[in-house]
Amino acid sequence: MLADEVCDCHVLVIGSGGAGVRAAIEASKHGETVLISKTIVGKGGCTPMAEGGYNAVLREQDSCGIHREDTLKGGAYLNNPELVDLLVKESPLRMGDLVKWGAVFDFTEQNELAQRPFGGQRFPRTCYAGDRTGHEMMMTLVERLDSTDVTTLQEYTVIELLKDRDGDAVIGAVALDEKGDLVLLKADSTILATGGGAKIYDISTNSSSGTGDGFAMGYRAGAELIDMEMVQFHPTGAVYPYDARGRLVTEAVRGEGGILKNAKGERFMKKYDPERMELSTRDVVARAIATEIMQGQGTAHGGVYLDVTHLPGEQIETRLPVMLEQFLRFGVDIRTTPMEVAPTAHHVMGGLRITPHGQTTLPGLFACGEVAGGVHGANRLGGNALADTQVFGKRAGEAAGKEGRRRKSVDREQVGAQLGRLAGFCAGNTNPALVKRDLQLAMWQGAGIFRNAGDLEETLATANQLSAVHLRAVSDRNLAECCIVQNMCCTASLVCRSALLRPESRGAHVRTDITQTHDAEHSPFGHTFISLSREGIEPREMQQ
Amino acid sequence: MKEFTIRVSRFDPDEDKAPHLETYTVKVNEGARVLNVLHAIHDELDPTLSYRYSCSSGQCGSCAVRVNGEPVLACMEEARDGMTIEPLHLDVKKDLVTDLVPRLEQIASLVAKKDTVLPKKADIDAMKPLKDCIECLCCVSVCPAVDVTKFLGPTAMRQEMRLALDPRDSGDRVPDAVRDGLFTCTSCQACWKVCPKEIEIPGKAIEKLRARANKAGLTLPRHLEVAALIKETGRSVPRTAESFLEKAGGTIEPYGPVKATVGFFVGCMYNLRQQQSALDAMEVLRRNGIRVIIPKEQICCGSPLIRTGQLDYVDTLKKRNIETFQSRKIGTVLTMCAGCGSTLKNDYKTPFKVIDINELLTQYGIEPPARLPIKATYHDPCHLLRGQGVRDQPRELIRQVVDLV
Repeated sequence: MLADEVCDCHVLVIGSGGAGVRAAIEASKHGETVLISKTIVGKGGCTPMAEGGYNAVLREQDSCGIHREDTLKGGAYLNNPELVDLLVKESPLRMGDLVKWGAVFDFTEQNELAQRPFGGQRFPRTCYAGDRTGHEMMMTLVERLDSTDVTTLQEYTVIELLKDRDGDAVIGAVALDEKGDLVLLKADSTILATGGGAKIYDISTNSSSGTGDGFAMGYRAGAELIDMEMVQFHPTGAVYPYDARGRLVTEAVRGEGGILKNAKGERFMKKYDPERMELSTRDVVARAIATEIMQGQGTAHGGVYLDVTHLPGEQIETRLPVMLEQFLRFGVDIRTTPMEVAPTAHHVMGGLRITPHGQTTLPGLFACGEVAGGVHGANRLGGNALADTQVFGKRAGEAAGKEGRRRKSVDREQVGAQLGRLAGFCAGNTNPALVKRDLQLAMWQGAGIFRNAGDLEETLATANQLSAVHLRAVSDRNLAECCIVQNMCCTASLVCRSALLRPESRGAHVRTDITQTHDAEHSPFGHTFISLSREGIEPREMQQ
Repeated sequence: MKEFTIRVSRFDPDEDKAPHLETYTVKVNEGARVLNVLHAIHDELDPTLSYRYSCSSGQCGSCAVRVNGEPVLACMEEARDGMTIEPLHLDVKKDLVTDLVPRLEQIASLVAKKDTVLPKKADIDAMKPLKDCIECLCCVSVCPAVDVTKFLGPTAMRQEMRLALDPRDSGDRVPDAVRDGLFTCTSCQACWKVCPKEIEIPGKAIEKLRARANKAGLTLPRHLEVAALIKETGRSVPRTAESFLEKAGGTIEPYGPVKATVGFFVGCMYNLRQQQSALDAMEVLRRNGIRVIIPKEQICCGSPLIRTGQLDYVDTLKKRNIETFQSRKIGTVLTMCAGCGSTLKNDYKTPFKVIDINELLTQYGIEPPARLPIKATYHDPCHLLRGQGVRDQPRELIRQVVDLV
């Protein structure tokens, strides 16, 4: 546990999903770049699990203007319009990069990228590689990364950002290697690309890395976060067996023509969005499913039916092979039997406040991908997250790379504080796995799809109380786990506090204790914001 | 909740000389996967247990382990009481965590051409089946060639083939594949039988790369000799004694009532090296009511050519063999050789059924054989077990004769 290993580089990228690897590829054009990941690069994060697709305007009949409108409307007009403009304009360019670098997306008979319809979009603009789109992107990015000079540190856990001794600037990070030994990383610029934090919920689609580390570390370093109450519940997650609960059932199932029915066999979406039906936005579909289940119209396993049995078998086999394989593993042939699904925590729309260049409110600290806020507003459109990783991954990588050299003097006090924190874990008394479980159950109960101030207060109190327990690391290898559980508690408290700050229902955030007369388009509210020094909610004017 | 007692391999290189199995009893939910059992051990009993996972849904390839000796993804394999969980047969870093990174780094990457070339739909369709790989390295962990040669392993060859098919790639993939052990693969089929994505690497990548190597003049000299011999004699081994086909008559009538009629495809080894075994088999069939027709015009099935990528002459062989049996109106063709049987079943489109002798004899039954007072074990032929899926039948037969262990 000695800080005897120091790495000094120009750009440090934390996280190895789609955004992190894209950022590292770009940053490496400007100087020595280190990519640090708590998993094996290419295997971690949520990008390799992303199934459905990548939104890009590619056809003459489509336009960036329509994509922009769809994204803003889907986001309940809480998105930062400047970031949305960049997303829609640059998404096709970044798709071009991927294709140039060898991605094998599905093509049409006319030798063009194939596109499928996705929820909340007026044009079928979701590019895909079967239902393993994110995996295809990740493989392509990792191959491209191989041709750069980027140094990778795999299976290292960053536990805190390092700040300059006399100022606000971030100058690197402190990490643990797999044995629990401390490593110092100094960098002129640091990019957080740590993904989201939906693992703070008991039922979630996320990989093991979705623990909110970037939100928590950014917050503790003093960065400002926005809209942290905006957590997307994906409408369709698996419901059984118990341990598979929450596993993503891709929106592509509905994009390909899948229909939702309650236990009575009613195609219930006609009650909630008769126009867009199953391809409404995720917030609407998730609420519809949750409502049906609460009203006693759910299946025996506590879900609703998602049915593709009317589709040709070949379409299911070629467009949804991962779904077919996963359900077969659990004894369900989706070609002949409807799936059972229910909402599952999926994506955090909020995150660190960024400029169009991915600059956070702290000098030297950039953010991209799910850890950044503002792109998706109050509800993300399916297919916009993969595009986000590439557009803002590149922008953050480039901006960080172009930053000047920085004098980096490591503050012994900060390192000492981390050593003290770790020593505390060695002397602690509480099993972090149990704390994690308590937190996840509390968040699902009190800060889920339907919220009210009383439950949020109670959940916040639980998160705060769990933050304060003395976690126990039985060996040095268990130290990282303790840090991660603390990050989960911190992220959960940010979600609850932000949810209490927003006195309205908007997009994914529903307050059952508040009646309102305005719709999303006419909301008087802008972003919620939260940092070590201030918190509140902006009026709408300020944000536009 | 159910209670499972399972064994897990534990190994800390800093403290242990060798791995040992530790027994745990945990409560798990109905339908739990192997990974959920590992979580239960880690969360409830022993937080020092190290294992790797990420997506928990079969998409990232982080969590492959061996369960009762067989490589599986821990997140997708249903947990069973009494199972033994061990790391993949790769270098172990700790407990169930293996050292994947050095092997992943050996897998080739696309090097884009200077001028942008776009693939066509046909290119995409050709590459797609090779792109499902999640690089879990189950295939590498079971490859016998990786153990004894510098072969980079099945998935590295899969990637070379995927790159060879890609018009965007500037690399010279066939020589690279040869350098990295293309010709060391024994075509045992172990890799794709453990592949969670069922990617048929031997047929879809290795044999295809070898065919490209053949076009590039990179076929091994010994393989060229075999091809020349087949073209010259119709057989893949030289004639050193009287062949089975020369010895055996055209039709062998059973002693008793006829239960079935089959045509016999002898194959080069039984025809020219193991004649007596084939003759003995004919006697067994004769005593058990099987009428056997043995057409003399049959020749090599072509397996040695297909496996080594020398495809020019294969269609000629196939045509001759199919016509030979078809012209005699034979509905079922019997094989003894595992390799020939696998080739006829998988590489041919035959108008007749192909059946291995073990399948035939268990289907019709045999007269009780004299028992021998010996203990014996059985080694599955690769192309019978994995090529044809015949596992239980030979054991059933052998058990009637000896004490099979």
